[in-house]
Amino acid sequence: MKIGIPRALLYYYYHPLWKTFFEKLGFEVVTSGKTTKELIDKGIKASVPEICVPIKIFNGHVLELLEAGVDYIFIPRMMSTRKGGFYCPKFMGLPDLVRYSIPGAKDKILFPKVTSLTDDISDFKIYSKMGDALGASKKQIKAALLDGQKAWIEFRRITKEGYTALEVLDYVETGKKPQNPIKDYRVTIGLMGYVYDVYDEFVSMGIVDKLREMGVLVETFEMMDENLLDAELSDMNKRLFWTFSNKLLAAGYKFFKDGHIDGIIHVTAFGCGPDSLIGKIMELDSNEFGKPFMTIRVDEHTGENHLLTRIEAFIDMIYREKVKAKKEA
Amino acid sequence: MKVAFPYMGTTVIYKKLIELLGHDVVEPPEPTQRTIELGVKYSPEFACFPLKVVLGSYIEAVELGATTIVTSGGHGPCRAGFYGETHKKILRNLGYDVDIIVFDDYKSDKTGTIKKVRRLKNGKSWFYLWKSLKTVYSMAKSLDNIEKRIEKMRAYEVNRGECTKAWQTIKTWFDEVKNIEDVRKTEGKSNKLLGEIKLIEVPEPNKIKIGIVGEIYVVMEQSINLRIEEMLGGLGAEVERSQYLSKWIDFNLLPKGIGKEHELNILKKGEKYIQEIIGGHAKQTVGHIVDYAERGFDGVVHLMPFACLPELVSQSIIPAISKEHNIPVITLSIDEQTGAANTLTRMEAFMDLIKSIKRTKIA
Repeated sequence: MKIGIPRALLYYYYHPLWKTFFEKLGFEVVTSGKTTKELIDKGIKASVPEICVPIKIFNGHVLELLEAGVDYIFIPRMMSTRKGGFYCPKFMGLPDLVRYSIPGAKDKILFPKVTSLTDDISDFKIYSKMGDALGASKKQIKAALLDGQKAWIEFRRITKEGYTALEVLDYVETGKKPQNPIKDYRVTIGLMGYVYDVYDEFVSMGIVDKLREMGVLVETFEMMDENLLDAELSDMNKRLFWTFSNKLLAAGYKFFKDGHIDGIIHVTAFGCGPDSLIGKIMELDSNEFGKPFMTIRVDEHTGENHLLTRIEAFIDMIYREKVKAKKEA
Repeated sequence: MKVAFPYMGTTVIYKKLIELLGHDVVEPPEPTQRTIELGVKYSPEFACFPLKVVLGSYIEAVELGATTIVTSGGHGPCRAGFYGETHKKILRNLGYDVDIIVFDDYKSDKTGTIKKVRRLKNGKSWFYLWKSLKTVYSMAKSLDNIEKRIEKMRAYEVNRGECTKAWQTIKTWFDEVKNIEDVRKTEGKSNKLLGEIKLIEVPEPNKIKIGIVGEIYVVMEQSINLRIEEMLGGLGAEVERSQYLSKWIDFNLLPKGIGKEHELNILKKGEKYIQEIIGGHAKQTVGHIVDYAERGFDGVVHLMPFACLPELVSQSIIPAISKEHNIPVITLSIDEQTGAANTLTRMEAFMDLIKSIKRTKIA
């Protein structure tokens, strides 16, 4: 039996867990290919016009998997991975959205409900109900989850050493250890953005690589320790509701306070609801901290040259300030 | 303390509560083009439309002298729960000196909620507060009943606009109410006024019934949704909304087990399409569409603010529901760009479609 996993949304955060889990149970895992223009176009046609770009891309990946003839597509219902926290409503309704809007998908979706108190979502309770559809016993599921958990923890551990999710996903799959992140850099940038925006190379046009080529050390939220991040928000009156948005905002605050971060770039996808609030909060607070902050909003039309020009200008500006400050010191 | 509140629906109800507690009420004006422009100017570009309009209306309230704004919060995952915090930040940044009291989920912050209530209680006794709440609740119930009646009558009035005019009069009458006894009397008086309006007789099978579903703010606030109820009424359709203030109170504020059957029943009907409550009113929206189809309504208008997170999920699913239950549904996504003429054309076309379906059914 073939299980399809769309290369979109939380693929970039949980794939090692899910892939290992299904493979240990003896299934063939089919991951959809990288996002392409054709794939996005298909996704757009299958989606309502106003919905955000990541969901349109997700729909494109689902269509590709359906065409590939998989038996099931794995679309967990992401509800919560923190006490009192939620996911964006579109994540919570994603299986429903796919079942009723993508033709031919209705009976092919596996959608366990994910509620957990931590980021580690390898709890047996979440996946136990899938046993019937998969024809797997409790014992088998438990054992497969244990392996999945190991793979995911390893994935997270290496990420925190400063590697990007793409590098580590590659390492987990192929065993090819990524090269050390650059040592010679002139500027350090805190990059705020959801994993599915930053690491989908079609959406972000490989912004991390582009920055590195300019001699920039890039830090992202998932390279930091979860608990440290969480503590950043402790003096907030009321937290945001969305777990990953909170991580992003916490990373943003950390970047503001952290002396070795020279500037912050916020990558957001067109139509992202939670980001509309985060962006405003960051914008208002950046005055207080006096740190350069830039938002890059991407969608399926964004031109590569445009993006390159903007980040080049931003980095050059920061670099010049830095040199000037050094001279004056 | 000069107190204001967000403008949504029959505002005379919130006004009454604050008034009964002995505060000066600054009623924000009904949203106009200026309100929307103010809100749009200072809100995040991609924020949802209600956030922008409410911000605009807060600014107008502050200009009128409000020093405190009372509003409801939320626990997510819809953005509406974070409005309070966002508004605070933006207003502070603009240099407005105003205090925003946000009532969040009681369970998550008991002492905080009690503190806020004490502040608003204004030295009145708890018994007095209870009595005031009861008066306001009965007012909400009775106003909703009257409005429901008007929503049906409007389609058949002989003199265009008579019902809407009566509704305005009735609201000013309710503004004078002091206690439950007054509410009862005013309701009687209002019904008498409505009884005097001349109506055209239409045989039952020829009546057109349209349900309005969607996000609460755009469904309830007529100044924002292009007065869709009046528009549809003018085109000859009875309407019923999925959201009424008294029902919202029943479901969200009353203790467990009281007055919730209706809403729970609606949620159950939506279960097939959206299994979990995903924030906002997405699950209610799909539930109500099923409910309207089962009750023999002729069509449904689905209203949502532009880029509303939960309603985008329901919008994606609606074509499937419409097909399975054989009921036409039209979605209007509303923001500062929405034009009345465009909407009127779409509604006229929608009505033509419904009428032609009806004709073929009867024939």
